[in-house]
Amino acid sequence: MTTPRSAAVRTGCVPAGVGIGWRPEIAGFVADLPGLRFVEVVAETLAPHAPLPDALAELTARGVTVVPHGVKLSLGGAEPVDPARVAHLARVAELVGAPLVSEHIAFVRAGGVEAGHLLPLPRTREAVAAVVANVRRAQAELPVPLALEPIAALFDWPDDELTEADFITEILDATGATLLLDVANVHANARNRGGDPLALLDRLPLDRLAYAHVAGGVEQGGFYHDTHTDPVPPAVLDLVAELCARHPSPALLLERDGHWPPAPELRAELDAIAAASGYPVVT
Amino acid sequence: MTVLAAPGDTWGIPSRTFLGIYLLAALVVVIVSIARRNAILAGKRVTQHSQLGPQQVAFLNGGGQLAVWTALSGLRSAGAIGVRPDRRLTTGGPLPAGVTPLDQAIHHAASRNLFARELARDEWVARALGDLREGLQRQGLALSPEQRAAARRGPFLLFALVMVGVFRLFAGLSNGRPVGFLVLGIIGVIVAAALLARVPWRTRAANAALRDLRRSNTHLAPASSPAYATYGAAGAAMGVALFGTASLWVLDPGFAEQAEIQRQALSGTGTSSGGSSCGGGGSSCSGGSSCGGGGGCGGGGGCGG
Repeated sequence: MTTPRSAAVRTGCVPAGVGIGWRPEIAGFVADLPGLRFVEVVAETLAPHAPLPDALAELTARGVTVVPHGVKLSLGGAEPVDPARVAHLARVAELVGAPLVSEHIAFVRAGGVEAGHLLPLPRTREAVAAVVANVRRAQAELPVPLALEPIAALFDWPDDELTEADFITEILDATGATLLLDVANVHANARNRGGDPLALLDRLPLDRLAYAHVAGGVEQGGFYHDTHTDPVPPAVLDLVAELCARHPSPALLLERDGHWPPAPELRAELDAIAAASGYPVVT
Repeated sequence: MTVLAAPGDTWGIPSRTFLGIYLLAALVVVIVSIARRNAILAGKRVTQHSQLGPQQVAFLNGGGQLAVWTALSGLRSAGAIGVRPDRRLTTGGPLPAGVTPLDQAIHHAASRNLFARELARDEWVARALGDLREGLQRQGLALSPEQRAAARRGPFLLFALVMVGVFRLFAGLSNGRPVGFLVLGIIGVIVAAALLARVPWRTRAANAALRDLRRSNTHLAPASSPAYATYGAAGAAMGVALFGTASLWVLDPGFAEQAEIQRQALSGTGTSSGGSSCGGGGSSCSGGSSCGGGGGCGGGGGCGG
């Protein structure tokens, strides 16, 4: 089943305001957010040739922008990106009428072994070249622009040649991709590897920012873990405010992947993000 | 009986005349019955489905027993009910605000440490269920015993016609007259009577409301692995009301197992009995959970006996 590229034009608006990651488990909660303008859906959870889940279809009918978020392309892998996975992401983008899709600068498999996690790349020229090649392959097949999200890492590779910011900037410059910045990751990287999160923020190519992720995590054993199953800590909300002071209105998306709290607590998290960014509340 | 017609005619009525009158009478009764049945079963459309609470929805979907499980799930979600190691219920906290009489009755039963399976037979609970049923009858969602009796009047007349036909059959046979068409006619009337005698206990308006509620609450179906903590006690209760106690097993497997609550998944495909497994805790649909008007557990799902 091939859909002509031109058939994908009914794309939603670019992400704006405060959004939330759509998950089947909280579909009823998301549906009840009156001011919601955008959500993200994990691309791999959607079937390419089945109709959208009703709850998601109702959101698109309401004019809510849906951004497919890939987690399994493995753009940072040494081997070329799997064409079938790119085709799936492209198909899902058409299905939801997405204005863009996003993926991670990471690898999830190597030598045919699935890691089951997003793994960080060594920040070397070689890795940049590998990512750029894979991103270009993906972009050639995708009907919409691609935003790239650097991941949190608990450690640095010993042979890093580039700083985090330079690494990201080189990839974005070479591919024309936009940036999906995870604010919690900035906090995590600064906290775990030492350094000032604001300094990192200032070195990042914020002019390429498509939208930003906000997620919760937990301090454990001297490390900050980006769990997506805990509340958003105040330090991350402070960073959201700092980001919004530096860059005009990036759309902000709350990522919560499990251990969902009672609805009032989840609404309070969305409200806190709105307060930190100056966006209207969506609840 | 005076014999004025041709000699040999049973009861003095020629076979063809009798058959014509007999079938015409049956047809009239069938038409009138269907019309009356349609009017009675229509019920009153619920314009705002949010008016229906989870316990009402549960009663319509699976009878009194499902209403009990629904109330129990809501109370459990709110932390008002617990279960002891000896599998008897216990109260875990005060009743939350805005509870129904059924909630109060179950909370009271839990304070007396009943087993979960005994709840539907508890006097207070049974009374609350009766009130729940009567409320649904007033709303035009469930049929009252009077309405079900009225809907059965036509089928009773048809069975009377069957008796007349059978008498005529024996009379004709003893007269040595042909009875083939009469036999066919009687069979037809029996089939019509049997079909019309099956009167459901909830109205078409209730069916429509349940259908709409299932559609608008798919996020509560166990297949969506709902985040019950987010949806709260009301969401948990509605999940059980619409999709059966399988939802309670997802919500709180420890409690469901300890309290010996039967695991039951309602497919929700409409009027036929949707309950699947009745096993587990060993409490069946019997007991105090009659689904109105002597229908026992029929019709609406429940456990199908």
